[in-house]
Amino acid sequence: MTQAEIKLCSLLLKEHFGEIVEKIGVHLIRTGSQPLRVIAHDTGTSLDQVKKALCVLIQHNLVIYQVHKRGVVEYEAQCSRVLRMLRYPRYIYTTKTLYSDTGELIVEELLLNGKMTMSAVVKKVADRLTETMEDGKTMDYAEVSNTFVRLADTHFVQRCPLVPTIENSDLGPPPPAPTLVVNEKDMYLVPKLSLIGKGKRRRSSDEDAAGEPRAKRPKHTTDNKEPIPDDGIYWQANLERFHQHFRDQAIVSAVANRMDQTSSEIVRTMLRMSEITTPSSAPFTQPLSSNEIFRSLPVGYNISKQVLDQYLTLLADDPLEFVGKSGDSGGGMYVINLHKALASLATATLESVVQERFGSRCARIFRLVLQKKHLEQKQVEDFAMIPAKEAKDMLYKMLSENFISLQEIPKTPDHAPSRTFYLYTVNVLSAARMLLHRCYKSIANLIERRQFETKENKRLLEKSQRVEAIIASMQATGAEEAQLQEIEEMITAPERQQLETLKRNVNKLDASEIQVDETIFLLESYIESTMKRQ
Amino acid sequence: MAGNKGRGRAAYTFNIEAVGFSRGEKLPDVVLKPPPLFPDTDYKPVPLKTGEGEDYMLALKQELRETMKRMPYFIETPEEKQDIERYSKRYMKVYKEEWKPDWRRLPREMMPRKKCKKADPKSKKAKDTDKGTSLANTADVLKKIEELEKRGDGEKSDEENEEKEGSKEKSKEGDDDDDDNEDAAEEEYDEEEQEEENDYINSYFEDGDDFGAESDDNMDEATY
Repeated sequence: MTQAEIKLCSLLLKEHFGEIVEKIGVHLIRTGSQPLRVIAHDTGTSLDQVKKALCVLIQHNLVIYQVHKRGVVEYEAQCSRVLRMLRYPRYIYTTKTLYSDTGELIVEELLLNGKMTMSAVVKKVADRLTETMEDGKTMDYAEVSNTFVRLADTHFVQRCPLVPTIENSDLGPPPPAPTLVVNEKDMYLVPKLSLIGKGKRRRSSDEDAAGEPRAKRPKHTTDNKEPIPDDGIYWQANLERFHQHFRDQAIVSAVANRMDQTSSEIVRTMLRMSEITTPSSAPFTQPLSSNEIFRSLPVGYNISKQVLDQYLTLLADDPLEFVGKSGDSGGGMYVINLHKALASLATATLESVVQERFGSRCARIFRLVLQKKHLEQKQVEDFAMIPAKEAKDMLYKMLSENFISLQEIPKTPDHAPSRTFYLYTVNVLSAARMLLHRCYKSIANLIERRQFETKENKRLLEKSQRVEAIIASMQATGAEEAQLQEIEEMITAPERQQLETLKRNVNKLDASEIQVDETIFLLESYIESTMKRQ
Repeated sequence: MAGNKGRGRAAYTFNIEAVGFSRGEKLPDVVLKPPPLFPDTDYKPVPLKTGEGEDYMLALKQELRETMKRMPYFIETPEEKQDIERYSKRYMKVYKEEWKPDWRRLPREMMPRKKCKKADPKSKKAKDTDKGTSLANTADVLKKIEELEKRGDGEKSDEENEEKEGSKEKSKEGDDDDDDNEDAAEEEYDEEEQEEENDYINSYFEDGDDFGAESDDNMDEATY
């Protein structure tokens, strides 16, 4: 874990779960796995709070535990999983585009709660949907659970590891912690539930504002008494599957940019066909014959077999090698080279970063070195057709920022500089790592800046919230227009302007966070895929 | 080359012209300070992507952040007492849903302890008031949390006592164990017992302060 990652984890945990959880989580990330007592001692936190914090972290799949010898339970933080919290909006939005509002809310609930039983998710989502509907209309449980089944079928949600049922024989003391078992076969198997019912609307607002906690209590207890049919079967969002989807989308849009819409549609079809058959970490998809691809093209896409074959040959000939030909049987067998695609996308990201940071002439040198692999300084100057002095300047700048690396090849064993070749080269993997590290830093900076902006304007924000609340309550009681205006004027014009600026800044910072995370995703996928091949 | 040296010119082992300095040109000064915190950029950043999707994700992100604060998983730090109690504070409290973790999925040590062996006056008081206001209050989450916190403070000192006793008992038990191993095996499982078995951790880290002071360095070395 680099310092930048730890810093970012700390900011994220604090923002989502509060200071105590952050303290425990960061401690675990720094130290690795540790038992409960040691955590409490080292962080100087009371045992009860450590327990609470650990419960929260385990619930959200951010910490795992393991029983060690002599019955000690050790807790270990999942740093990379903590960083995934940045991507929550994207997961939710993706489900919305694929499975509309119902799917969106299902995934949102799962991400908000870490893990939930299916019945709980369905109930909650139905209630939430009902609240947004017009009066008199309700959302049926059956409809929500249908969407849930579809999400499970496409592997976007999966079961959490199960607690094995222990026979109730008295074979010594029970273990200090349950060992969770992953059942590969049932990972996406939805339990048979007969969820009948409709979403319930909450009572009108004035009632629950005053006496909600007490009034609601008896209802809750009766709810709990009902036997839960899928007790103990918990579900979580399958982030791996989401990443696979993001990767596929990135490949499709890259093809569309490079060639045209039709070829991207062909690649999309190929990716969709191999979605379930290819594991998400494989470097290639399963080979698909052109006949199969032709049959699976979406209806309404009117291209003939000949045109398809031409497109496939064209794609296979492309120097980027997104699509490769693996055989001639069945009218030609084609695969998608996923690793190559990710490498191309990562390289393109590097190129564009160089272009935006150092200008187009630097980018020319960078691309040149990328293409020719190893170049001497003199060769760079000549090939790039840039005056020697400027070329050197640019080269050194990129060298000092670690985009370009230097390889020494001594002619004599004494490494004398005058008798040594200095070759410039781009090590894509290490450059990608460096850039990733910078991305973590920038997101941490963005979050800190956003928190600073909000803190600076805390008083103003609170005031505007209060005024809005008053206006809302007055509107509910049917106040006159003049009265409302009077209250609205409690916020002066400069204050209003200040609020506007704040809102614009926060929006910009938030949007940047999301978009930097897209770069992080690309670089991470590339690094992961490269590491697996080695 | 040797002549150069004689005339006081800085001698480099390589040809300085190859790095881009012509003969007789002044070399740049040595930089002795860290780079500026906000350096000037030569190129302005490109604008952010905008679109329906981006706007929606932005809204989602901000909403998610607010929702997380209202979830029961957000543990707030106990507030410091303010000099003036604000009237509005009472209405600012957010009622959070109760969260019951599924204890079957969690290690048993996570369970809040039910009984307090040595009830100190503080927690006793808390219990009494609890009984007094009877059933309606047992459900009140906030009360419970406060109570837990109070108890947590009290408990700490309790535990320290327990540990001391525990270590004494343990040494006794150790003797017993030598005599009769079966006895130990038949011992009924109990929360307190379990802790004593785990006690070696405490004695390892908590008992000897002087040990703790140097433990870090030692541990690092041990990993080599």
